[in-house]
Amino acid sequence: MTESSKIMIEVKNLHKSFGTNKVLRGINTSIKRGEVVAVIGPSGSGKSTFLRCLNLLEIPTDGTILLDGIDITALKKEKDIDAVRMRMGMVFQQFNLFPHMTVKENIIHAPVNVKGMSKDEAENLAKQLLEKVGVLDKIDAYPSSLSGGQQQRVAIARALAMQPEIMLFDEPTSALDPEMVGEVLNVMEQLADEGMTMVIVTHEMGFAKEVSDRVFFIDQGIILEENIPEELFDHPKEDRTKDFLSKVLH
Amino acid sequence: MELKFSFLEDYWRFFLEGTEITIILSIFAVTVGTILGILIVLIRRCRIKPLKWIGTAYVEFIRGTPLLAQIYLVYIGVPTLFPGFDFPDLVVGIIALSMNAGAYISETIRSGIEAVNIGQTEAARSLGMSSKMTMKDIILPQAFKNILPALGNQFIGSIKDSSIISTIGVADLMYKTQIVRGNTALGLEPIIVCSFVYLIMTFVLSRVLGVVERRLKTGDRK
Repeated sequence: MTESSKIMIEVKNLHKSFGTNKVLRGINTSIKRGEVVAVIGPSGSGKSTFLRCLNLLEIPTDGTILLDGIDITALKKEKDIDAVRMRMGMVFQQFNLFPHMTVKENIIHAPVNVKGMSKDEAENLAKQLLEKVGVLDKIDAYPSSLSGGQQQRVAIARALAMQPEIMLFDEPTSALDPEMVGEVLNVMEQLADEGMTMVIVTHEMGFAKEVSDRVFFIDQGIILEENIPEELFDHPKEDRTKDFLSKVLH
Repeated sequence: MELKFSFLEDYWRFFLEGTEITIILSIFAVTVGTILGILIVLIRRCRIKPLKWIGTAYVEFIRGTPLLAQIYLVYIGVPTLFPGFDFPDLVVGIIALSMNAGAYISETIRSGIEAVNIGQTEAARSLGMSSKMTMKDIILPQAFKNILPALGNQFIGSIKDSSIISTIGVADLMYKTQIVRGNTALGLEPIIVCSFVYLIMTFVLSRVLGVVERRLKTGDRK
């Protein structure tokens, strides 16, 4: 087995309940290093919860998540959990940029204060990343003066500044005006081409089909079907997958 | 009727001295009250249940009892319970006012923290920031900006509340005003002067806070 096909994350029997509401009911899967996984499924199926469990923003009710063979659900100390989160970048539907900081401050804050990177180094990195996502000219602007698409690209740069091993995207284009979806997807596609490991919860079926190596169809808290995109989109096996796809692909 | 203000010629110094004490009382009450308020917020947010209860009980007690009663509780209660503690009246006044302001300020800060979108915490934590750093660098700066107007009201309230401290003999503006009333046998005029001085103090403070608010708003157009 080559290094690039090594399993990075292994999820076993993952359950998550909110009170009596069972959102995840036993997810089993694994994600390889360098792999791009698209997660699709109806609203309320548990896609986002699954993603948020991966970096422990939600603490699983049951089951294990192995990151490079280490069970991160067993971590108790805040420090150890923070260390895991540092290795995983996350991009949110609502961008969640820090409104009281400039674009540059948004990007360098965690690298400098969490990772201990020097300010110069972090600023150079910020410039590089902003160049890459195409918003270098906004480096000294505050988030409120940016368009949604620009904010989301800055959010991607901010996550990348921690030099994560995997990027988690939680419906990154769902809050965007239609004309801005493309610019964000382009950045993500570029990342995928560079070999970044990515898990993307999305409603952009065209993008999922084009960019991902594998697609998970999550329904009612389990991965009902997973396959390479050509198979899953063109020859779905499960009735519920067929039904879902017929509704979203027009 | 005719108002006579000629007494000011002999008594202006009384008002000046009283104002000094009122300013000292207010500055301490607001400063110590803010520190206390932050501490109460932290106590009420911590995981240790009994500490949480103490914080909540404290706030409920202060909010549910009159300031005057609280002042007497500190003034008479503390020396009774702890015979060694015999503070000057001014210090008693500062303690009572700070304790009162602290409870209200903690509620203001708490509402400000709760108003910051949960997504901010999630974004910070997902970047590996600790809960402490998230609170200090991400949540509190935003909360502070949101609560500044409410905090300003609280500070103005503390200036006005400080007048009640005159009942235990602290020679603040209100106390001095009463002396002038007694000495001059004028019922209304000294109170008018006194009110005007309070108004100047609160007006200046509200202007200063207005400037701070505008400064904080620059760059954050929302």
